[in-house]
Formats: sequence, C-alpha cells, structure tokens
Amino acid sequence: MSKYTGWLLDLYPAASTGIALWFLLENGARQRFMQPFAVTFHAFAPQPQLRMLWNYLQKQPIPVKLAYTQKTELFEDKPITVLSITAPDPYSQDKLFRRLSFKFPEITYYDADLHIALRHAALFGTFPLCRCEFTLDNNTGQIIQITSLDSPWNLQSIRPPLRIMQIEPDEDPRHSQPGALKISTEKDTHLLSLRYPRPLMLNLKALLQRYDPDLLLTAWGDRWLLPYLLELTENLNIRLPLNRDSECELSWRPERSYFSYGQVIHRDQQIHLAGRWHIDIHNAMLYHDYKMEGIYELSRVTSLPLQTTARVSPGSGISAMQMVTALRQDILVPWHKQQVEAPKTAWELLLSDQGGLVYQPVTGLHRHVAELDFISMYPSIMVHYNISPETIRGPVNLNERLAAPPDKPPGLIPQTLKPLLDKRMAIKHRLLTLQASDPGYESLKAKASAHKWLLVTCFGYLGYKNARFGRIEAHEAVTAYGREALLRAKEAAEDLGFSVLHLYVDGMWVQQENADKVSDYEALLREIASRTGLPISLEGIYNWIAFLPSRQDARIPVANRYFGAYQDSSLKVRGIELRRRDTPLWIAEKQQAILQQLARIKDPESEMMSNTLSKIKNDVRKSIAGLTMGHIAPEKLIITQKLSRTLEEYRSSSPAARAASQLAEIGKVLRPGQMVRFIYMLGSPGVQAWDLPQPIQLDKIDIDRYARLMLRAVNTILMPFTGEKFSLNINSGNPSVSFPICTTGGLPLLKLMKSNLISQKIAAPKNELNLLPAFYPENKDLQQV
Amino acid sequence: MGRTLASITQVFLQEQEAFSRFRRALRRSDQEAMDDLFIAARKHLSAAAYAAHALPFEVFLLAMLLEEHKEVIRLRKIIEEKQDE
Repeated sequence: MSKYTGWLLDLYPAASTGIALWFLLENGARQRFMQPFAVTFHAFAPQPQLRMLWNYLQKQPIPVKLAYTQKTELFEDKPITVLSITAPDPYSQDKLFRRLSFKFPEITYYDADLHIALRHAALFGTFPLCRCEFTLDNNTGQIIQITSLDSPWNLQSIRPPLRIMQIEPDEDPRHSQPGALKISTEKDTHLLSLRYPRPLMLNLKALLQRYDPDLLLTAWGDRWLLPYLLELTENLNIRLPLNRDSECELSWRPERSYFSYGQVIHRDQQIHLAGRWHIDIHNAMLYHDYKMEGIYELSRVTSLPLQTTARVSPGSGISAMQMVTALRQDILVPWHKQQVEAPKTAWELLLSDQGGLVYQPVTGLHRHVAELDFISMYPSIMVHYNISPETIRGPVNLNERLAAPPDKPPGLIPQTLKPLLDKRMAIKHRLLTLQASDPGYESLKAKASAHKWLLVTCFGYLGYKNARFGRIEAHEAVTAYGREALLRAKEAAEDLGFSVLHLYVDGMWVQQENADKVSDYEALLREIASRTGLPISLEGIYNWIAFLPSRQDARIPVANRYFGAYQDSSLKVRGIELRRRDTPLWIAEKQQAILQQLARIKDPESEMMSNTLSKIKNDVRKSIAGLTMGHIAPEKLIITQKLSRTLEEYRSSSPAARAASQLAEIGKVLRPGQMVRFIYMLGSPGVQAWDLPQPIQLDKIDIDRYARLMLRAVNTILMPFTGEKFSLNINSGNPSVSFPICTTGGLPLLKLMKSNLISQKIAAPKNELNLLPAFYPENKDLQQV
Repeated sequence: MGRTLASITQVFLQEQEAFSRFRRALRRSDQEAMDDLFIAARKHLSAAAYAAHALPFEVFLLAMLLEEHKEVIRLRKIIEEKQDE
C-alpha cells in the first residue's frame, strides 16, 4: 500500500472501474487515479410490486446487491421500508435506473439521480480542490481509502497554485468574425491568427501540451470557440488535447430556454472537459459579480464540480448542499417529489399566501435618514426558528411559536444552512478588520458574495414545487416571521422616536432630526435585535435620500426606486435608469456622473447645491449638443433588451423584435431569453441591430429619441432637488450637421460593459461603511462567530 | 412557483376598475376628486396586504378616510395657528 497527499481537481464516472479522480500531487504532478465506487439507490412501492422488481433485477445482466432496508423519508412520520439496489459502479447504476424508471414508472425512486460528486462528498467529505490523503492498493493501483484533510467551512485553507490558460478572441463573435485568438498564461501571451487554421491548430496543440493547464478560461468558449476548434479538428484531422483524460470524449450539454420567476432565461450550450476545467466567462452565472474566487468558493461549499458550479444557478447549489446533508443523515432524496400542498381553508390561504412586507415609501427628498438591514434575514429565520419541511407540517400559528419556539432537533434545512451562515458572518467580521487594500480583501468579498447568492435562493427553494425538500407551508412560515420581525422593528423605531420612511422586506429607513452619528442608532439596533431575535446591522447613514414616485403618476409612491448619498459620499441606487440593462451607456454614464457630483454635497439646501445643479444642467446641454454633432460613439448608444418570446410569438413588433428579425434574416437566430442589441434609427423600421455586418450610418441615428431618453434620466435625478422638470428645446428631425466618419466595432466592448457601472453600491471610496455596527440577538451560536 | 391569490395591487386595480362606469358618469372635476381618493388608498397597500381582510374594499375605504382625516388635522392646525397670530 502506498500513501499520497494532494488536492482533488476533478471527479467523474469512469467506465467499468468506478470513478476517476484527478489529483494535483504535492510534487506538482497532475495524475489520475481510479476508485471502485458502488452506487445504491432505493425503490418504494407496495410489497408485491417490490417483489416483482426484485425478481426482474435478479435476471438483469448487471450484477446488483438487493436488500430491504428501513429509511427516513422526510415527508413521512415513520421510517419506510424500501428495496435498496446497489450497482457496482455509477455507469451501470445510471443505465439500470433508466431502464427501471421506464419499465416500472409507478414505483417511487430515491437517491436515483444524484451527482456522483455529491455521493463522494457525503461519504468522504471531499469537494473540489480539497486536500486529501489517499491510499492505493499495490496490486490494482486503485484507491482503497481516502480522507479529506480540509473542511469547506475552513476559513484558512490554502489553494494550490493552479495553471490557468485564458483564451479570448479579439472580437465579440456575436458581432463580427474574430481575426485572432489571444492566449495568455502567467508565463506568456500568444496571438494566433484565425486566418490560417493549420498553424493555429498546431500552435494551440503545442501550447496545450506544453502548459498543460488546469483551467481553460475562455471568452465565448461554449458558444463559439470550442465548437469552432472541434470543427477544425474534423476538417484538418489535428486532434487537440482539450481533455486531460485522453480516454474521455468532450461532454456537451445542449442550450435551452426556460421560464423562471416570470422571466425567460436562456442558457447557452456547455462543453465540459475531463481532467481539467473549461469555464466560459460569458456563460458562467454571476461571473461578473464574484469571478473565479466566487466559483471556487461555491464549489467548496456545494461539493459540485467546478465546471458545473460555474454554470448552474445558486438554487442548484443550495439543492446540492441539501442532498449532501440528506445522504449523510440517511434521509431519502426523492427522484420526483410526490408531495402536494395540504388543503387550506380560504381564510388560512388569505392569511398565509403573502410575501415579504413591502411599504410605499414617503416620496421626496429626505435628510437625517439611516438604513437598517437584517443580516441574511430569511436564512437567519430558518435557522433561528428551525424551519424545515419536516418541522413545519401545516399552517403556522406564529404567536404560539414565537412565545415558545418548539424544542425539536434542527431540521434538514437549518442543518444545511447553519455552517454557511456562520461562515458568512465570520467572513463579514474578518472584513471589518481589513483595509480594502489588504491582499486578502477582494477574495473574502468574492466569497461573501457567493454565499449571499446561495442564501438568497435557499428561501425560494423552500417554496419551489419541484425542489426535493420544498414545502410551501415552510416557505410561508418564513415570510410570516419576516413580516412579524419587520413590524416589530418598525414599532421599536417608533417607540424610540424615529419616523419610519420605508420598509422593504429585510431593510428599513428611519429618520430622526439630527440623528447623524452611528451612536445615535445603537440603542435602536440593540432594541430591534432583542425584540426579533434576529441579527441586524446599520447599513449606513445618508446625507440625503430621494424616494421616487411612479413614472406613470407622480402621486403614487413605488417601493424600489430611490437613490441616496451616504455620509462617505458613496451612493445607493435602485430602480432608476442607470441600473437598467436597456439604458444606453451614454445615458447611464451621465446619470452616474450627475449622482456622483451631487453625492459630494452634504446639505441639499446649501448654495453649493444650487451651483452644482446649474452646472449639471449646463453639462447636460453640452452632452446633448455633442450628440447632435455626432461626437458620441455609436457603441455608447446601444440598447440591450432581452427577447421574451420567439419572433413569431410577438403580437406587436417591439423595437427588440424588429432588431431580432433583422438578425434572423441574415441567419443569426436568437432564442427567447437571449439579448438583442440595437440602435434607434430614423425612418423604418426605426432600429438597426448592432450585430448586423453593415456599419451604423451615423446621420440616420434617431438623435431626438436619445436626447429625450437622456432628459428623462436627468430629470429622474434632478426633480427631487428642484421640484420642476428640466427641458431643452429639441428640434424634431436631425440638425443638418456633418458627421465624422466612425466605423462600428472600434471600441473594445469589454470596457463598455455596464456591469461595472451597476454595482450594488457605487464606489464607496473608503472603508468606513464596513465599520458600522451590527447587533446580534441573545443567540449563543451567532455570538460565537 | 407563484402565488395563488392575486396580489394586493391586483386586487386594488380590480376594485378601482369596478367603479369605472360610476367614474365615467361623474363630472370631470368630480372624477379628479375620486382619483385622489384612490391614490390615497394606494398609499396604504402594504398595510392592506398585511391585514389580509376578506373584503379588501373596506380596508381601502378606511385608508381613504385615513388620508382625509390626516388632511383635516393638517388644515385644522393651520387655522389654529392663524387664529393665534
């Protein structure tokens, strides 16, 4: 027997032997090992049917072990008797299960379709990039024992130095045909022309062999690059070593569009590699938010392989975590959930079918305002009040439960969430002590962001009918606790002499004359934490904040349209143009610049403010003059909209639909959920799709329309300060000015991406916000963090 | 996913819609006053949702009354201040 130590890179089923595991060993070598891995799943049905299944299975060519066992089914009061079927390896289990589900569809199956990485995680505590010690059998060379030396909840774990190769085309392939590939590693950068396929392929092959990357980080790799390279492989008969495991084929997942939360979502096709990872930055969920650091962290805590983690929604991550908890506790994971909602009376439905509490704010400009936020409110509620499908069986009597929280052991959901919540709190505490310039700061922030997404979705999954461990009553209980907590917070604020301007699910905005210091809010935070039992923090104190009315009727307040400047001059902005995807960059940038100018002013009634306002108006006049003179690059006028249906399904032809049909005519067919980019043009059809080959004719751009959009965005900001609309005389028809020649596609699109602009909180220059206090209720577990 | 019951905003709009014939037959000046009443009710939608009342229009009426009374208080204060001067 020989012992090894190394970091787990990849894990997937291997034909006939069990599973293949790739390790980065301590000597730097990347090596594949095999591990025998039998897989057990279960069947539940009346006894005669199970007997029939037993007989059938014994006649199958795949050798299986069969046994009747008692197992916990979360939705049943008592353990149930199931037929446990153990297949020798993941491949045969998958084959067998497909056959059974087709032949015996009426049988209920459990643990049947779980990802192999989750099974491995449940048994051995492994996760991607975890440090392991393993022992090989000298005769077979296979792994006979494996132990994880790391924990996903460890804050200190060290990541091994990974070899990353980045490949990106010089042009956005959706817009025009790229001419070259830029290939960079930490050692060097190469530029390979796409015009000469044979040298391209040979060079790429040499680079892959020489560098042997662990991660292939591409731009448009799923959609364009890898399919293109595979096409060249066929045509030129040059095999690229994309997979590290030469015995495996590339694994393709087709593209799809689906409907979720009232929105059409489009997921591009995916290409996964074996033995190394492929991640396409344009097909990775939330890559713009937390980058690779967040993906590493997500795969640590969810145990899902890195390539999967990068591409799935945080909801699938939470689901995976719940499955691992269930496997470890010997709780059955249903294949298809059988549970339906229990009947309710109309009165019960009326009381329980409610969401979070959302107020209509007091519109207008306000001073002396602070924002207080409950920290991860819904997950905290689930953990603190033990909300899980097995602990909440029917409608909840909130008063009873609040008076004496039931003394049950923590359920599956609280057990899954608690370590995650604790780790997030620990990271937040650590961030308080670090300067933004600290080398570890960015990485911790990315981790906190990854955790936030998991925690945000875990609540929705409790109410999702297809979630394996969802139960609507538990979901409703969470919002009921949430509403109660927010109302208690409101009462506490009013008792302490604050007026409440706005309440929004887990946050509140309170106002008190001259309450401008952090210490003015400490008593309130403490009071709320003690009345609700939930952790709450001071998000910040505003110099001023404006809650905006509806765009349709200025008398109607809306919940989520506001902007404000904190005392450190950073901004919080919600629901206005610059946060919207369909606002052209020219307008978003201007709006942000105006906000930043205003954010520097502490007192909105000062003379400095009126000076700034007239300066802003002048700037806007100049900007619009610049537009009419053709000084604005067309890239900055692009409108991006999501297609919500297929072209045939559009009843009236919206600008987005017209642009998409222009693209369809040249063979670029977009699917629902995909983005279409266009520019407003004069004449018919009023738009030109950005991704058409012909350049934009600058003198045909609909200047009036852009000028009006700009004024609307400017007025959104100025109206709360001035109380009147700022307007310019915009002549109809474009002025006859000569336009400078400008070709499209000139500006690097990556730099123009608005995601940099629409960050959560704009440019907090100092680290002050992080120093604001947070208060935790009398809860030992939370205080330990 | 989604909710079984209509949201409070949907309920509000339905109730408002139910009076569209009544509104149409009013004089223009009365129509404007009536619109003001509905906007007053709209300011308290979150409280109406939380109330989960079986007859939501009763809550909307109370919300209109509430805003009316706030206005009475405000005006009374102005008059009292004027009298004091």
